[in-house]
Amino acid sequence: MTGQAVSEAGRAEPQAAAGRVALDGVSVRYPGRNAVALEVSLAVEAGELVGVAGRTGAGKSTLALTAGGFVPRVVHARVGGSVTIDGVDALTATQSALAGRVGIVFSTPANQLSASKLTVREELAFGLENLTVPRSEMDGRIDEVLDRLAIAHLADRDPFALSGGEQQRVAIASILVMGTSVLVLDEPVAQLDPAGSRGVASLLRQLAGEGHAVLCTEHDPDVLAATDRCLVLNSGRSVALDLPGTALGSAVQRPLGLRPPTLVELAELAGLPPRQAFDEEAVAAELARHDFRRQIEMPALGMPGDEMLDWMPIRSEPTPHLLVSDLVHRYAGGPEVLRGVTMTARPGETIAIVGQNGSGKTTLVKHFDGLLRPDSGSVEIDGRDIAAVPVGSIARTVGLVFQNPDDQLFNRSVEREVAFGPHNLGLDGGRARDLVDRAIELAGLMSVRTTNPYDLGLSTRKLVALASVLAMEPGILILDEPTTGQDGPGVARVGAIVDAYRRAGRTVVAITHDMEFAAEHFERVVVMREGAIIADGAPADVLSADRSALLASTGLVPPVAARVGARLGLSRTPTMAALLEALSRR
Amino acid sequence: MSAAAGYYRPGHSWLHARNPLTKLLALLWLVLAAFLLPGLALPVLVGLVAVIAGSAGLLQATIRSLRIPALLFASILLVNAFLYPGAHDFLARLGPLAVTREGVTFGLVSAGRLLVAFSASIVFLFTTLADDLLEALVERGIGHRIAFLVLSAVQMVPRLQGRAAAILEAQQARGLQTGGSIVSRTRALVPLAAPIVLGSLIDVRERTFALEARAFGAKPGRTAYRQVPDPAVDRLLRWLILAAGVAVLAVAVTRPLA
Amino acid sequence: MSFDWTHLCAANETTPCVQPVQVAYLAALLLGVAIFAVALARSRYLQTATLTLIPVAIAINIAMGSIVAYLKLPIYLDSIGTVLVGVLCGPLAGALTGLLANLIWSILPLPGGGGPTIAFFAPVGGVIGLMAGFWASRGVFRLRTGDPRVGSFLALALGVAAAAVALLVVQQTVGIANVGGTPDEQNRFVLMSVAILIVAVVVAFASRRSVFAFNQDDGRIVPSLVIATGIAAGVLVLAVVRLLFAPGGYFSTVNGEQDFLNGLNLTGLAFADPAGMIGAVAVGALAAAGAGFWASRGENARLFPVWVGGLTTGFVAASMSAPIAAGVFGGVTGAGTDALVALFRTLGLNVFQSAFAQGLTSDPLDKTISYTVVFLILTALPVTVRTMFVRGEETVVE
Repeated sequence: MTGQAVSEAGRAEPQAAAGRVALDGVSVRYPGRNAVALEVSLAVEAGELVGVAGRTGAGKSTLALTAGGFVPRVVHARVGGSVTIDGVDALTATQSALAGRVGIVFSTPANQLSASKLTVREELAFGLENLTVPRSEMDGRIDEVLDRLAIAHLADRDPFALSGGEQQRVAIASILVMGTSVLVLDEPVAQLDPAGSRGVASLLRQLAGEGHAVLCTEHDPDVLAATDRCLVLNSGRSVALDLPGTALGSAVQRPLGLRPPTLVELAELAGLPPRQAFDEEAVAAELARHDFRRQIEMPALGMPGDEMLDWMPIRSEPTPHLLVSDLVHRYAGGPEVLRGVTMTARPGETIAIVGQNGSGKTTLVKHFDGLLRPDSGSVEIDGRDIAAVPVGSIARTVGLVFQNPDDQLFNRSVEREVAFGPHNLGLDGGRARDLVDRAIELAGLMSVRTTNPYDLGLSTRKLVALASVLAMEPGILILDEPTTGQDGPGVARVGAIVDAYRRAGRTVVAITHDMEFAAEHFERVVVMREGAIIADGAPADVLSADRSALLASTGLVPPVAARVGARLGLSRTPTMAALLEALSRR
Repeated sequence: MSAAAGYYRPGHSWLHARNPLTKLLALLWLVLAAFLLPGLALPVLVGLVAVIAGSAGLLQATIRSLRIPALLFASILLVNAFLYPGAHDFLARLGPLAVTREGVTFGLVSAGRLLVAFSASIVFLFTTLADDLLEALVERGIGHRIAFLVLSAVQMVPRLQGRAAAILEAQQARGLQTGGSIVSRTRALVPLAAPIVLGSLIDVRERTFALEARAFGAKPGRTAYRQVPDPAVDRLLRWLILAAGVAVLAVAVTRPLA
Repeated sequence: MSFDWTHLCAANETTPCVQPVQVAYLAALLLGVAIFAVALARSRYLQTATLTLIPVAIAINIAMGSIVAYLKLPIYLDSIGTVLVGVLCGPLAGALTGLLANLIWSILPLPGGGGPTIAFFAPVGGVIGLMAGFWASRGVFRLRTGDPRVGSFLALALGVAAAAVALLVVQQTVGIANVGGTPDEQNRFVLMSVAILIVAVVVAFASRRSVFAFNQDDGRIVPSLVIATGIAAGVLVLAVVRLLFAPGGYFSTVNGEQDFLNGLNLTGLAFADPAGMIGAVAVGALAAAGAGFWASRGENARLFPVWVGGLTTGFVAASMSAPIAAGVFGGVTGAGTDALVALFRTLGLNVFQSAFAQGLTSDPLDKTISYTVVFLILTALPVTVRTMFVRGEETVVE
């Protein structure tokens, strides 16, 4: 870096980030819709990290786009009030006036790259090229940012070959390198594994510490816990703007039909002030002092929306037994992705598969329905090797819901989309109609039956994809990351589907990064690392604090309830319910 | 190397070190010469390409790459040898079909021209990174937006190929039949085509925001990070190639196509 | 130095001369360069959304190619992305997409790709994008069956039909003059072409002002569309039957041998004898009735304008790629359609004619299916995406 001189093109030098973003009485209305998408006042000061929480459709993305200066210039909408970004009036500013002042990052890592560069170093140079920064300054600025974000080791890698977490860091770096002082993120960790999420959360904290103004919408409690203040949105309007411990507390969340994060709930139970709501140690210490035997009233764990759901089987085939033995798989020319995996899924079992990205989880489940064939080893359904059975026939017994719903949705209504599977199976009209109705009802999509799936948000589209496989009523239902991007009620809905399907005697296997979800809804947890199973057992055994080192080796941490339980000398408390019960018996 | 590097083979030969524009001009000259000079010049041109490829250590790779257009060459030779319209000079008969001298000549000349065009192009692609070529072209005044379009498309191709494979799997998991009669295969078209287009369009929305946030298109100009060396020998070579081009045109005008 | 060779070749000329094929190729090349130059010059005005869409569209073209190959379907569908850009971002962006798609296809090692030489077809891709943009701006992808502008497409179809009838009449009465014949014959050829063109324009214009002058929600629109779809389907079936099974019929200027495939004579299936003619007409009428019934249901008939756009794009694409295939590739392209080229050669067509005939049998069908697929996809496009692109709101159906 050559010095203090501000180049004629670049704005402030990266160190001197001192912008702020202010939304003053802003209202946003999309064309053709009467409802206000957003009506909010908010200022994010330099050096501050502000989180935005709220249900899906509450206006978080609209807020991110507005604070990022895209409304109404790129996203057409009627806007009232004023938006000031780093001293520029964003509602009237041209792109060149805003360039280099504000950056935005969304949840899909690969979409944040320019997709025109061969190395991370060139990717970072892209913004500098566009700002016409002299060539002689570029390397210095790039190296400075690479060092600051601790990604210098990635400099010469192909950006597309990085993990999602690394890609998000590169995306943030490529914005910061432009000297940008305001950073807006819209659910940046939704598609990352736990290790990636924690990395991004601590990076955001660091950037605020360095003087950036950071605004971040998120469902993930770890990220929200790291914020200075947290804004809660409901139907586009601000419900609370306070310390995260308060904004995410019961008083704000429950009226919205949302459940506070487990740690916040425990802190409230222990009677801690909001400032300490995310302090695990303090929570445990305070809980230890309480005598729960005398406490008659347990906190209301149930939510208004999570009544028990049921699945009445329509197809009469019995649930099959799945057995994979010594499974080895390698992608053409690459190393082994699966290195001798053996596991069973007995009829009616629910199994969660966890592990960091790249540990082979998706590769494994794709063998269950024959999409991938093993290089050695076997997959047996009810004792019959499926090596020679075509995928189309296995689809009758094994249903796989992919992580990205956009890989399969194509019909012009939810109803038609859900009917696609039963139609392919050649089920007759009456039974097919019943299956479609029940799948739509179980997934909670009655109100959007005739809507175009692509007019729904990503989290609802995931439920549509799930319903479309449910409607085939497979004996074994496999879900790949069903909860990513879902808000609290969305996760609860997926959990209720898992429970209902298990009660109907069917098998459910789910890949997930959400440890609490795994602990609450599954009888078995399988932990994978580098193509092998390293643990397999009940959640209470596998997701416990004494297995922390093992879990950490594949990027995982035990769920909050297990961690707090361990501090209290309790084992086998993977869920909040288990923890409270253990406390009351103590 | 990433999939987006295409045919490029990293190396340090004298050909790798040439400026992309020099190589592009040489390629254009070879194609022009192949199509404008009489068929008898073709062996010389093929030899020239072979010598250039050999001197850069790429002769074997070039020969191996010929399997790409092998079917095309076979098609050209066979269809013309047997089915050249209006030919009367029969060389051999094979049942109802006959090999004609005119057909064989026409097929050989057509295939020869294509051989020069193909092998010259592949040697060019082996030794030239698209990023360097476009940067050199941008220096010569081609819009940097065009360069972005090409480079981005080159990166998107393997990604969408991967996406097509994922969609195929996702739909098969829902029981979609992709084999069988032509009717059932045609039915599979929209379930496979629509998600790839709709999903990509939704991504385009996010990618547009990402590019705007990176100041893409914010200023009329642009500075280049990638630097493409252009030594004096390249400038000399380009003048020589231009002179050779004029010579080919002169020959073509005075001695028209046979 | 002599310039004696600078004239078009006459039939069987042996002295140096210029083949019509070469002139056509030169014209295609110049057109390609012109489109490219304009597109380059205009590229600085493209919006970021357009610049993001174009690379994706190019990749869609290539990915569709591999999907079709996987399904083993006898079509290409490799211009779906190009058509999409033409629709959403306008003709010039479409042209740029088509041109670059061919260039990129040629520089990437792709399974089934023909290697660098595919680049020769870049002008064809450009024109496909240009036409998609043009047709989209005429409303092809957003017309409902009650829209009076549908009349333009019906009139255009009637004009083309009139031209076809005129061509048949000329062929049956005076016969069509050979392009490569004497100057007198060449003049006659040009005169006939102009006359046929005038017939088409006059019929289209007159019908647009009379029968097809509709009011908003005119009750006659849907029946006209249904009938037109039916007739078009019938004629298409007839044409294919004739094209494939009537060696001497369709290209009557060619001295085709009547006994290909060991003397098996299939002309009976076309118009040559009364029984064949009745059979062919019956097949055509059945096809027409079926298509008409289908078109009368729901909004199916709105596909008619889409098909007009696809067919015309296909014809133009075929007539552009033929000289390239003939001039550069000796008439074949190494694809499965070479079998068709071989078939047309056995029918006695020359290098250029058989490449053209091959294109005519596959391109219009391919582009029609491409337009249909794009239309179906656009109907499922979410509002947020549609409104991002310059032309999205005006060209795409809601």
